[in-house]
Amino acid sequence: MSTAGTAKKIVGTFIIPVIVFLILEGLCLSKGEHIITNAKSFDNFIVYVAIVMITTIALSINLNSGRFDFSLGSMAALSAIIGAKISYAIFGGGKGSALCMLLVTIVAGLLLGLISGSIYVLLKIPPIITSLGVTLIYEGVMYTITDGKYLMTEVQNSSMAGFVGTWIYAAIIIVLVLVLTIVLFDHTRFGFDYNALKSGQKVSVNTGIKEVKNALICYTICGGLMGLVGFFNAARNTTINGGQLNFGSIAIMFTAFLPMFIGSYISRYSNEKVGFLLAAICMSMLNSTFAVFSNEITASMQSIINAVLLVVFLIYLNNEHLLRKIFTK
Amino acid sequence: MKEKRNIGQMITTVLPFAALVALFFIFIGVVNMKGYRLDMYLKIAFNEGVVLAVVATGAIFIYTLGTFDISLGASTLFSATMGVMTYNKTENLGLMILVIFAVGIICSLFNSVLASVFHIPAFVTTVAMMSVLTAVAAKIITTEGGALGGIRIPSSVLKPFDSMGCKIALLVIFFAVSLFMFRFTKVGRRQKFIGGNPLCAYLTGIRYNKYTIIAFVMAGIGVGLGAFLTLVYTPSVTTTTASSIGMNIFIAIVFGGMPISGGPFSKIYAALVGGFSFMLLNDILEIVIESNAAYGITQIISAVFFLIVVYLTSMNYRTAMLPR
Repeated sequence: MSTAGTAKKIVGTFIIPVIVFLILEGLCLSKGEHIITNAKSFDNFIVYVAIVMITTIALSINLNSGRFDFSLGSMAALSAIIGAKISYAIFGGGKGSALCMLLVTIVAGLLLGLISGSIYVLLKIPPIITSLGVTLIYEGVMYTITDGKYLMTEVQNSSMAGFVGTWIYAAIIIVLVLVLTIVLFDHTRFGFDYNALKSGQKVSVNTGIKEVKNALICYTICGGLMGLVGFFNAARNTTINGGQLNFGSIAIMFTAFLPMFIGSYISRYSNEKVGFLLAAICMSMLNSTFAVFSNEITASMQSIINAVLLVVFLIYLNNEHLLRKIFTK
Repeated sequence: MKEKRNIGQMITTVLPFAALVALFFIFIGVVNMKGYRLDMYLKIAFNEGVVLAVVATGAIFIYTLGTFDISLGASTLFSATMGVMTYNKTENLGLMILVIFAVGIICSLFNSVLASVFHIPAFVTTVAMMSVLTAVAAKIITTEGGALGGIRIPSSVLKPFDSMGCKIALLVIFFAVSLFMFRFTKVGRRQKFIGGNPLCAYLTGIRYNKYTIIAFVMAGIGVGLGAFLTLVYTPSVTTTTASSIGMNIFIAIVFGGMPISGGPFSKIYAALVGGFSFMLLNDILEIVIESNAAYGITQIISAVFFLIVVYLTSMNYRTAMLPR
């Protein structure tokens, strides 16, 4: 590849994170602070990057294949509840309970994802409808297990606090998830089939690709990833809301829309999953900036800002050719 | 083969109506068995169902185009909030009703402009709108009425409208107008065409933007009517008012026998039939299962029932490949 081509790729990959950093750091400096103020805020920064990146990858796996999945949030919450209950029953909140909860939550997430995928392939009804039913079922199970209450005793212990009290574990998980998903989706037979099905379902099925098997694996991976998100959320918030009925759990997926589109844009110049990581870093910088301006910007304002950014970015993304025409005239 | 297919089609057409009738009689049976007042429970079920039915009937126009709008619940909340604010400032009932409908239509139109003019996928714009409207409404409600209390108008203001006759009349009028537009004008036919095959519709000269805007205006009117009926039932607005409507519309429409992908198989009555069926099912389960865990179990059973109904009603649309 030519030097110019490489330079273009590097610039294209890093331009959004760099611009976001410069703008947000400038805003923070106007208040006499930085995006990351101390070691604690760096820990929070990395943990939030992990949550956003993993949610975005999970959302994109099915959405890229035209499968809209509302059940991601319910999978995260239910797997975390199962993990918390089992780990507390074994370790009573003592040493090792965080690791136990992490492992159980991932396994529970994988199972919930597999169940969700199985319902889809067995009933053969549109995935958006299946996911509505699955969301309601998982929320109902969650409510029944917890009696509609918050789960606190099971997740408020030193072991859990230690897990999110340092950036190292979150960073390790980010690297592991990134490597695993890049290998799985870009360098394995499953990944080749996935990409073929994504681009042309009918042709791929006619050439002998096993669509059902591929879809089941996708749903299972999504479940496992959302299990991780559920664990991180439980550790970070020191509680799990068991009373999320009537689609109360779906909000989690909306936070991943903006990073998903930013990541897709970055993927023109580099790997899509790396794009999601960089997009998650942008979102985490925004989140840290909100923390700096916490007295001025309320939670409602944060929602509005996120939504406006999503719309503005999509207006740009979907009208890029028109804008280019206007500015090159 | 053709005969078998016709029977299949007949079953899928009749099934949602049969389910509604069956659920209605089960509801009566369950209420009587428990010794509760039937008139009171019928009124509760109707009041819950009518709001969902009107908002979902308007939404049918959007769903027919093959897209969806999950911000309708938030729009209903925002319309009701602005209505209450207007009345509390002016004490003018007419102006309040005008504001409720205007806000509903403007919110919906804004979505359609983003979708049709700026070419943003409608589901993403509605996600953004849902966040914005919920956040703004929550800000107004908590600022004006406190975190838990909500905002309200005097109950006497909308008392004249709080009768079954009035609500049924509003529902019938809105449904009749929607039915007329959907079945007897080119609007409905062309929207089904766009939903079924957008490229083919475009090549035959059908203007996508025009029909998208009409669809969102109809949904906006439904939102306005839904917000008005919500206030008639409970003259106060909290941050959770109409919170589940946006997603329940999906269920209502599918329960009513319409494919979520829209297109030529879209049915205007699906929202009405599905909306009331869903509410009756929930009420039946909540009456039968009496405990705190009932809410969870109720939701599980209604979700399983929902999936079974969808499975049965979608038999005619099934393809060899996995649907997307």
